Amino acid sequence: MTGRGMKNFLVLRLLQAGIVAVVVGALCFVLMRVLPGDAAMRIAAGRYGPDARITDAAAKIRIELGLDRPLAVQFFEWLGSLARFDLGHSLVTGSPVAHELQVQLGASVWLAAAALLLSLLIGPIVGLLGGLKPGGTADRMGLFGAVTFRAVPPFVLGLVLMLVFSRQLGWLPPAGFGSPREILLPALTLALGLAAISSRVTRNAVAAVARAPYFAFARYKGLPEAVVVRRHGLRNAAIPVVSYLGLQAIYLIEGVVVVESLFAYPGIGHALVHAIIERDVPMVQGTALTMGLMFVAIAAAVDLLTYWLDPRMGKNA
Amino acid sequence: MNIQLKQDLVVRNLSVHSREGTIVSGVSLALGQNQPLTLLGESGSGKSLVAQAIMGNLPQELKASGQISFRDADLLAETAIERRRRWGRSIGLLPQEPWLALDPTMPVGPQVAEVHRYVRGKPVGESAAAARENLAEVGLAAAGALYPFQISGGMGQRVAIAMAHAAGAELLIADEPTKGLDATLRDSVTARLRQEVDAGRLLLTITHDVAVARALGGMIGVMLDGRLIEYGPAEVLLAAAQHDYTKALLAAEPSQWQRQAQTLPGKCVVSARGLEKRYGDKTLFSGFDIDIAAGEVVSIVGPSGCGKTTIGNILLGLVKPDAGAVTRDASLSPLRFQKLYQDPPAAFAPHQTLRKGLADVARLHARDWEEIRALCARLKLQEALLDRLPGQVSGGELQRFALLRALLLEPAFLFADEATSRLDPVSQQEVVRFLLEIVAETGLAVLMVTHDRDLAEKISTRLIPVAGSGTLAEAGMAG
Repeated sequence: MTGRGMKNFLVLRLLQAGIVAVVVGALCFVLMRVLPGDAAMRIAAGRYGPDARITDAAAKIRIELGLDRPLAVQFFEWLGSLARFDLGHSLVTGSPVAHELQVQLGASVWLAAAALLLSLLIGPIVGLLGGLKPGGTADRMGLFGAVTFRAVPPFVLGLVLMLVFSRQLGWLPPAGFGSPREILLPALTLALGLAAISSRVTRNAVAAVARAPYFAFARYKGLPEAVVVRRHGLRNAAIPVVSYLGLQAIYLIEGVVVVESLFAYPGIGHALVHAIIERDVPMVQGTALTMGLMFVAIAAAVDLLTYWLDPRMGKNA
Repeated sequence: MNIQLKQDLVVRNLSVHSREGTIVSGVSLALGQNQPLTLLGESGSGKSLVAQAIMGNLPQELKASGQISFRDADLLAETAIERRRRWGRSIGLLPQEPWLALDPTMPVGPQVAEVHRYVRGKPVGESAAAARENLAEVGLAAAGALYPFQISGGMGQRVAIAMAHAAGAELLIADEPTKGLDATLRDSVTARLRQEVDAGRLLLTITHDVAVARALGGMIGVMLDGRLIEYGPAEVLLAAAQHDYTKALLAAEPSQWQRQAQTLPGKCVVSARGLEKRYGDKTLFSGFDIDIAAGEVVSIVGPSGCGKTTIGNILLGLVKPDAGAVTRDASLSPLRFQKLYQDPPAAFAPHQTLRKGLADVARLHARDWEEIRALCARLKLQEALLDRLPGQVSGGELQRFALLRALLLEPAFLFADEATSRLDPVSQQEVVRFLLEIVAETGLAVLMVTHDRDLAEKISTRLIPVAGSGTLAEAGMAG
């Protein structure tokens, strides 16, 4: 990429990140306010537990956190802090949001990375086998698997895996955090959903390359088969698979929320769900913002990778 | 000619069989140094199968019998592995449409270098240097870092020749080497092939272009329906063809056609003023004016990439001009402005029978099936063809179906975008003849876009030459 092209690319992505931050923040803010129930009451319950004096506690909290001020004031206050890279403090625990996110985000990134890695071990290989012989047994089995795993929502798939591997076979713990054994089931739940799509994308890409005249011509040039596949097959087949990874980020991020709650995995998705229940607005905004920015970052990384793989991108004939 | 010439490749009684029967039968031919061989024929005549039988890349379901002797080896007796080992090393293929045969994501330099590296086993640095030399031999010294999408079709074909040089193949098989190239590029590719012959390489060329066969010289074989119907030295065969099909083939060259009688143009159907189109920083054309009246055939002639197709698409309203305006006769429904596409198979849904596709068009536009039957009869298309898939009829037949589909909507204006450039000369002549008959009968206005000046001169009422540099000059051609 030329220097100017790279600069434009980065500026564009930063701009996008800024817009994502404002939109996500505003949406969270509005959605949290329109949720039924009294926010102060929920926060009080989150802090002290539901006891007899909760109404008094709620009244104190309302004044302490300024929840009775106009909405616009509260929103611009949040935006102002954000501009100083200050995400505020959790309404429930009182510790800085940034600090809480750091811990949870780390856990989630591990989970997402593990899921992505597993899906890349499954999807492209299944797809390759199908694409080399379209319509064959491997292709049909791959299609069946892809339809099944994509049609089953992650929370059902997670439960099924839990029942099979934890309850019946007893091989893996059903929940928890700390060792690779515990990350395996939630990661596999996500990976199967991801691989369902990436296997089909790979299959079509491989089949298209295998049919392409340049693939046949590489053979006619006299190149050995392994060289034909390595030099002219892999890169061309990888281009659509890699660009599709960008779209899969949506599935991954949304899946993280569901799967973490299901497996009681202390990541950012788990935190988001709890923050919503407890009406911890700064935490909700912080987690949602992090997820949104993660999406922008993944999309940018995928763009760069595609650019590196495919010389036709951004160059004029 | 000299009968004592050494024959390096001798094909005796070659037949190709499929499960359904014999597709190519009893082909015998020979070629040697300084005596190239060109096989002429339409698509489906079996000429490509002969080349594939020699190359050893026939589709698996086809079997070849007979004898192919190359130097002292009997090729058909060799195993698939032995035959593949010859690819590049002793038999090289010059692909049709080389811009599709080059890896789109690798610069051409490394694509040549890898032949040295992996076929001849040279070290990396030496391979790169040798590749630069090969590219320089074909006049592409500066092109090594370019990607296939950055070079022209003619350059692509020269890259393929550089690869053949790199591998050191003694026999070159050129499969439709000029397909899709305009006349200038075609001549330069043909000249390059002639140089290969002069340099002592063996050359077998497959083409439907008589001009290529004439320029290459040597021997010519004409194929029809899987048989070699005529075979002889180029100068003899082209001057005094014996077989009726060969005569028809030679007569079908546009330069041999009768000029069309001029018809009186009717009222103006579509006109445009001051058209301009830019792509990026490049101005394709500007200040372009055009008027097309009913009953007129107007041709825009120019090399590839000069923007002539864009003009047609602007007139149809498919592309917006950057400046200028198009006026279409307001009394006509937009449906009556139709287009005939360059590549007929690409203009039909591949898995749908022609009958189904046409029935859908008829239903959508409330036409009677009888009209389709009448048009089938008019365009001499047998109704049995309707139950086939688009891939199962010939290119000429399919283009006539495309014409039929357009005519079903009673067009007032038809934009024929290189509509016959991919057809063999006989089919081309047929399609053009039908088109001109329809023009005479219905007063259809036609815009032809073509790179074939001979064709344009014979059939058009007016001809607009377009230069490659982005300037257009309208030149009225008096009848």
